[in-house]
Amino acid sequence: MPTATVEKQPALLDSPLAAPPASSRPAAPKGAVLLIGLDLGTNKSCVLAGAQGSTDIVVSKVVPSVVGYVKDGIVDGIITGNARILYGEEALRQMLHADLAAPLAEGVIARPEAARDFLLHIRTLADPTGRADIRAVVGVPANAGEPAREQIRRSAQGIFSRILLIPEPFLAALGFRDDSRVKQPGYVDPVVNSLFIDIGGGTSDLCLVQGYFPTHDDQVSIPFAGDAIDEIIYNELGRTYPNNGLSRITVREIKEAHAYVGPSRKPLEVKVVIGGKSRTLELGDAIGNACNTLIDRIYPALTSLIEAASSDSVVTLLQNIIITGGGSQIRGIDTVLQKRLTDDGYESPKVRLAGQDFRRYVAIGALKAARAARENQWQVLLS
Amino acid sequence: MCFLRSEGRGEEAAEVEDRELAEAVAEARRSSESDAEANALLSALCAEGEQRVADAIAFAEILLPMLAQVMRPPLTAAARAAESPRQRKPSAEKSGEAREIADFIDEMLAQDRTGNR
Repeated sequence: MPTATVEKQPALLDSPLAAPPASSRPAAPKGAVLLIGLDLGTNKSCVLAGAQGSTDIVVSKVVPSVVGYVKDGIVDGIITGNARILYGEEALRQMLHADLAAPLAEGVIARPEAARDFLLHIRTLADPTGRADIRAVVGVPANAGEPAREQIRRSAQGIFSRILLIPEPFLAALGFRDDSRVKQPGYVDPVVNSLFIDIGGGTSDLCLVQGYFPTHDDQVSIPFAGDAIDEIIYNELGRTYPNNGLSRITVREIKEAHAYVGPSRKPLEVKVVIGGKSRTLELGDAIGNACNTLIDRIYPALTSLIEAASSDSVVTLLQNIIITGGGSQIRGIDTVLQKRLTDDGYESPKVRLAGQDFRRYVAIGALKAARAARENQWQVLLS
Repeated sequence: MCFLRSEGRGEEAAEVEDRELAEAVAEARRSSESDAEANALLSALCAEGEQRVADAIAFAEILLPMLAQVMRPPLTAAARAAESPRQRKPSAEKSGEAREIADFIDEMLAQDRTGNR
């Protein structure tokens, strides 16, 4: 079974979160408990794993959430090991030879069979020996309904032995929290009073985190995020440059390289290859308009959560608005949201980006939760 | 054994498996006419055991909040107000200090049980 390409960020390799290479890892003894923190994302998933009773992280990987089913009739040797199912980067590399399936849409499982295959792959990444007893904390979108949760549990049956499903923005806050500084004077603990905006591929989740577990009223999940922006850009490109032949994956790559919010940035010229010829497209308006739509969608939810906070906490809360997830990479998103809040009269708002580990905070929080969970808090998955 | 595993009491489950189950398996094999018949009998017993535990857990999850609701003493108006989600929240500045992640998970599970999420 081929392994997915691992996105390793240089900074992470130097951090305590860096996992040693698989070859240097001791094989898990049969039946040993291995804890997994999993951010099951619409476009990218992040898995962290570590032994129970330890603080070490033995696996830290980001994998595109895609499964490729190799087409019939592919000549031997084209696919490494003549595998029938490919995952992540490998599936994307072999997209000509495989039918790609995205297990998730809008943050929840849309293709149960692909989801199950993908979770099997996650298990293999975490425990190549297949011997460990795996317990997983999995992030779910804020306000994910019981059917969506049950679908995850069903897909994980026989793959993980126990599971806990926890809303992603709360996990992001746990992951973002610097545990070594929690008791230091002056450190503002994000778990005590913050507002997290987690912008993923399928959903944008906003969550008040105020020292208790967020209730339904404290969380908003908006089905508008990276994928919806891609769709707007894709359609606009089709209108402006008919028959351009650009795939959605290429459009996503263009967006990830050039996304911005705020006033129009022109010229924003992007070189692409269309029909084998190099062309330069002016995408300033297409990208700007699409990304600004995101601001228009999340801003009302942001202000409604701020207004729901108690009056004795709201001033500190306004200093702690944190954006994470892939959407945090949109240029200017922090300053545009902060300016809009200021213009609307909110008291000294401060909006900041979670930082370089934006893809990992949910999984980091999930692994922390897995390590802290009491024995009776896990849900047993009967296989 | 299935119940012990579902409760996370793996060592006790293993002990039962090694002793009582092993004895029961040996007895089943002795009293069956063939290995196939014995294996089928044991598989059926295991499946029945797992199903019973799963049903019991699901039943308990449904029943517990209902029982709690029925057995709760009548609330005064003031107490009802204090029970409302907004009022029940701890003060933001104080509550996070000594709280463990497991306490948050407890709150989450309680919300799950009462459907407040």
